[in-house]
Amino acid sequence: MTTTKTRPDFDVEVSGKSLGYNKPQKMGNRMWAPMFIMAVMAFPVALILAFVRASTIADASSAADFEDAAQLGHYIAAFGFIGFLAVFSAISFAVARILGRFRKGGGDIQEATGSNVQTLKMPVTAKLFIASMAMGMMIIAGAVVLHFVAASNVGTWELESVERWARVLEGFRRFGVGLYLFGITLGLGTIIHVLRFQSIRVRQLPDVFAK
Amino acid sequence: MTARFDTLIRPSAGADYRAQSNHRKVGFALAFVGLMVLAVTLIANIVAANDSNSLSAVETLAWSFGLTTVGLGTIKLAISVILIGILVRLWLRIDAIKESLPGLKAETKSLTPRGDIDTPYGKATETADIPDQLPVHRMARTMWFPMVAMGYMLVIVGGFISLAWSSALSDGTHQAAQAWTAGVQFLGEGMLLAGISFLLGSILASLRSGGGEVQKGLGVPIQTLKMPITAKLFVGFMALGLMLSMAQFLLYIVAAGVDSSQSFASWLAWLGPLREFALGSLLTGIVLALVTIGNVLRFQFDMVTDFVRTGR
Repeated sequence: MTTTKTRPDFDVEVSGKSLGYNKPQKMGNRMWAPMFIMAVMAFPVALILAFVRASTIADASSAADFEDAAQLGHYIAAFGFIGFLAVFSAISFAVARILGRFRKGGGDIQEATGSNVQTLKMPVTAKLFIASMAMGMMIIAGAVVLHFVAASNVGTWELESVERWARVLEGFRRFGVGLYLFGITLGLGTIIHVLRFQSIRVRQLPDVFAK
Repeated sequence: MTARFDTLIRPSAGADYRAQSNHRKVGFALAFVGLMVLAVTLIANIVAANDSNSLSAVETLAWSFGLTTVGLGTIKLAISVILIGILVRLWLRIDAIKESLPGLKAETKSLTPRGDIDTPYGKATETADIPDQLPVHRMARTMWFPMVAMGYMLVIVGGFISLAWSSALSDGTHQAAQAWTAGVQFLGEGMLLAGISFLLGSILASLRSGGGEVQKGLGVPIQTLKMPITAKLFVGFMALGLMLSMAQFLLYIVAAGVDSSQSFASWLAWLGPLREFALGSLLTGIVLALVTIGNVLRFQFDMVTDFVRTGR
């Protein structure tokens, strides 16, 4: 049985038992490792393709060589930003996992004292953290897909159009990274909020325990 | 010097644990400014892509590149400020636990330290006294401030160089400014991420010594986790990323002096992904640091719960 109680200082849920992890935190527990592995694989692929492209440019003497370089440029950006998407997702999931540790651990300690368990309701910064991460992920994933589209159309499209796509997608990719970082800032800021709550709550427990 | 930086990551005497965090407010404000800068550069890139005048398009892209890195650097600075806030709050929470736990702990007889032990969370040591800080923790406490400060300054300096790059495009003498912009800014980005890594290392150090202080106050043997594989890999990835960030800076200086535009383009073709690989390594290390923090927190929360339930 969980009830919602608004303390003057924090919005909390009150329950008889520890509430454990919420859904985003469970997802954080499961997803950080696959994202981490994807990041570790994607960055070297982009670097290897970059060496191939550099060699193509250095020896370029025909229009076909420049088309190959343009095509490789799109593939490199795509793989590089698969890496960034994966690593920023892994960081976001790891932050969610830490928030989960605080939620479950704080609840377990309160439960052990025999007190009612007060658990913070998801603060607005945590909701914005998830939203910002999701937007960043969608923007970067969309840019990566469009890089593959542009790469597959080199030779069909004019080289100028391919370059124009690269410029626009570059802007979106960087904005996507910015949204991820903004979300991570909000997630870490939520940890400060939780630490403040726990500093206050843990001081209230000895009185309950003594009774 | 370390003591001076320590005052920034420890609460001041008489700090009120109930007060709202100023670090949080400043961090959020800085992050918002950084995001708005990135919105401006996104618009600039879209305008440049549709600009029929190719010279003005590349001029726009040049300053947009510099400004984008300033925006991203500003959000990383915001993350550093928030991490400092976490460190301050962590010590306030440790004080709260030290104050409250003796009144919560079940009665138990005195125990003797068992030395090296296996726990469900990995290998640990059980000692009578608080273990010394690890060298990597001392390094983290010394290095976070210079890395964050110098990193952000380099990002800003690079932003100004990008203006020189943009204005030199009309007479074709932009090569050196272009190379210096990327080299300087991404050395700064690497240093900022290294600073964030050192702050995460400082959080791990605080959890270690704070956990020791809490157990010492209870008069029980002090259990401390040995450095787990995730922490060792974190240090490795961070060192790799920082070294590559420095290497890319030196290589951009070399590229600034190459004599043909085709050769210059060839250098840029692999230096860009190399600097991203360097940042990727640093970010990969940060993932592992956060995972280690999560594991240490689980160990400590379960330990405190056991103190309350069983007294040991």
